[in-house]
Amino acid sequence: MLSGMFQASIKNRGLILDPRTKFLLLFTMSIFVLGGAGGNITSYLMPVFCAVPAIALFSAKRIKPAIVYLLLFSGAILTTYFFAGRTHGLAHFLIIGICGILSRFLPCIMMGTYLISTTTVSEFTAAMQRLHFSEKIIIPLSVMFRFFPTVFDEFRSINMAMKMRGIQFGGVGAAKMIEYRLVPLMTCCVKIGEELSAAALTRGLGGEVKRTNICKIGFHLQDYLVLSLCVIPYLLLVLRCFGLFA
Amino acid sequence: MIQLKNVSFQYDETQTSSLQHISCQIPDGQCVLLCGESGCGKTTLTRLINGLIPHYYEGNLQGEVVVNGLDVLTAELYETAKLVGSVFQNPRSQFFCVDTTSEIAFGCENMGLPEPEIRTRIQNTVQQLNIQQLLDRDIFELSGGEKQKVACASVSAFQPEVFVLDEPTSNLDVTAIEDLKQVIRLWKAKGKTIVIAEHRLYWLMDVCDRVLYLKDGQIASDMPVEQFRALPSEKIVEMGLRALQLELPARKLPPVSAETIQLRDFSFSYDAEPILRIPTLTLPKGGIIAVIGHNGAGKSTFTHCLCGLEPRFKGYAVIDGRMLRRKALLREGYLVMQDVNHQLFCESVEEEVRLGMRKENEPRVTEVLRQMDLLNLTDRHPMSLSGGQKQRAAIASAILSNKSLLVFDEPTSGLDRRHMEQTGALISTLQGNKTVLIVTHDLELIAQCCTHVLYLEHGSVKECCPLDEEGFQKVQSFFGATPDCSIVSEEEIK
Repeated sequence: MLSGMFQASIKNRGLILDPRTKFLLLFTMSIFVLGGAGGNITSYLMPVFCAVPAIALFSAKRIKPAIVYLLLFSGAILTTYFFAGRTHGLAHFLIIGICGILSRFLPCIMMGTYLISTTTVSEFTAAMQRLHFSEKIIIPLSVMFRFFPTVFDEFRSINMAMKMRGIQFGGVGAAKMIEYRLVPLMTCCVKIGEELSAAALTRGLGGEVKRTNICKIGFHLQDYLVLSLCVIPYLLLVLRCFGLFA
Repeated sequence: MIQLKNVSFQYDETQTSSLQHISCQIPDGQCVLLCGESGCGKTTLTRLINGLIPHYYEGNLQGEVVVNGLDVLTAELYETAKLVGSVFQNPRSQFFCVDTTSEIAFGCENMGLPEPEIRTRIQNTVQQLNIQQLLDRDIFELSGGEKQKVACASVSAFQPEVFVLDEPTSNLDVTAIEDLKQVIRLWKAKGKTIVIAEHRLYWLMDVCDRVLYLKDGQIASDMPVEQFRALPSEKIVEMGLRALQLELPARKLPPVSAETIQLRDFSFSYDAEPILRIPTLTLPKGGIIAVIGHNGAGKSTFTHCLCGLEPRFKGYAVIDGRMLRRKALLREGYLVMQDVNHQLFCESVEEEVRLGMRKENEPRVTEVLRQMDLLNLTDRHPMSLSGGQKQRAAIASAILSNKSLLVFDEPTSGLDRRHMEQTGALISTLQGNKTVLIVTHDLELIAQCCTHVLYLEHGSVKECCPLDEEGFQKVQSFFGATPDCSIVSEEEIK
């Protein structure tokens, strides 16, 4: 399940967005949904932005995460709406705190999940190249991208091994639990990372010639729709600077 | 032409030198097999040819390595990469992309070839290797054999003159090995130079031209393959090499108790497609059972269910009249994973084997450690041990936690003869006390220590029988299975 979440599948991609669109969307959401920039003037747009990850996940046929997200998010909003005004003291703070964190962080987290789980390494590199990033940044980042599925794969095997040894939270402390998990995980990741780099180097990665990329990326109708959606809050922000909403 | 002149190398982190005074010439178009025991320097030699030494693995190097006129030791890695293509052992860690098409394009992209050219090359490569059905697939969904084919295609696409393969068959089944052999034949027909470092030798006997036998970092013998093939089998054993052909004698079976383990309703599916459909199966208790079958036949799902590792598994097993469902199987079963690093958690071997141990086994700790040949290693960190020692530490901890079902996943992949025999002997000592299942593609291991065989195909049991004369015949015919000759024949290319 975990590995499935982070593994870019080339099937079931549904509505295909250009990686650059996804980046801008994630960036915009982080500023306005998570960061709360814009305050009142952009508040009407927020529900739209919060719905985008759900739509995107549905279109990529990741039904379960989409539904879980929708339930959690609307739960948080409704709880704030109904109970925030009727409670006092500690309960009030708890509700405001937990629901506030959920409703702000969740949309961005889900957007990030969507980004990672639907972008292949070569699409990612192609997008970065079009944005004129240096190879020195692109190569390490693309290795990282490639690494997520592997790490979760390793993590699952380690979990299985722990279950077989009967290592559970009850038996040993939480600190030990983390240690038992991290030590083999790190050893395996270091080994895989080393082999991966060796394999990439023998195929000429890091040469002086400019890399070509056969991956076809480009903007389509859906990209323009999402891009224009992303532009609105920035526009509003700029307009406010000129004193339009004063 | 590959020229090595008086090359010596020592890795930075080791005390002894890996290669000493190696000199040899490999003319264009020759296919050379590098063989020898683990640690003899085979892999090091391949790394010298593809330039990973000294540019990636650092150490003390003397001598000269020239490939087709290029001085590999001073040239940049990406220059060498244009000349030398490499295929590695582990299919998990040699892919850079997540989909097959971009992976095949990867090398060409790095060379900055124009896009239309890359597309043509992909088409040609795919056609030659006959892997059209593997284009545009998710690499994580491919079987080991398919992954290795994609790795070959990816190297083939940028058309190097020299191919270097480092233990390419460690994770492959018989059919996949046969396919790989066809790919190598194809490269040979195109006049490429090929260097293969390998433990499993039988499949190369009618492909390679020359055999270099390494011992302790030196070339101990250098002969044409005809001469190598003619060596008596005692000599091969003495050299510490794996068998040259898969015609092995059946051994006399030790007596096996009549008690059995009943498995019921071993069915499992991830999606709608069932992966495992075994309504009922009887296994001999205390036997050593080889689990064979092609990649994707459901072997690993079967073993995961048996060890209680699949959360949604609904079947059960009957052992000693007790009915064991998933939770109970989790307590009874223990899987020794192929990558044993996943299951070693503690800071010392002693701590490791005590983790999860039954209290009543306290007095047995020393005895089990001695039995597993770990007594002088009790204070070492498990991660600092060798592969075989790690395996033994994992087995020791399984014995001490009173597990009665031990499952080994490919315990001898990538092992030389001596280590394979050690593992076999170790597993033999468990016979009678534990029920052991070994998932393996290694006929030599089966011949050495198994008492029964379980042959899975498409998620069902095709055969489950003791390994007497007749049973062993069946196993041999499985391993000698005729390959699907899916790859374009040499004539067609010419």
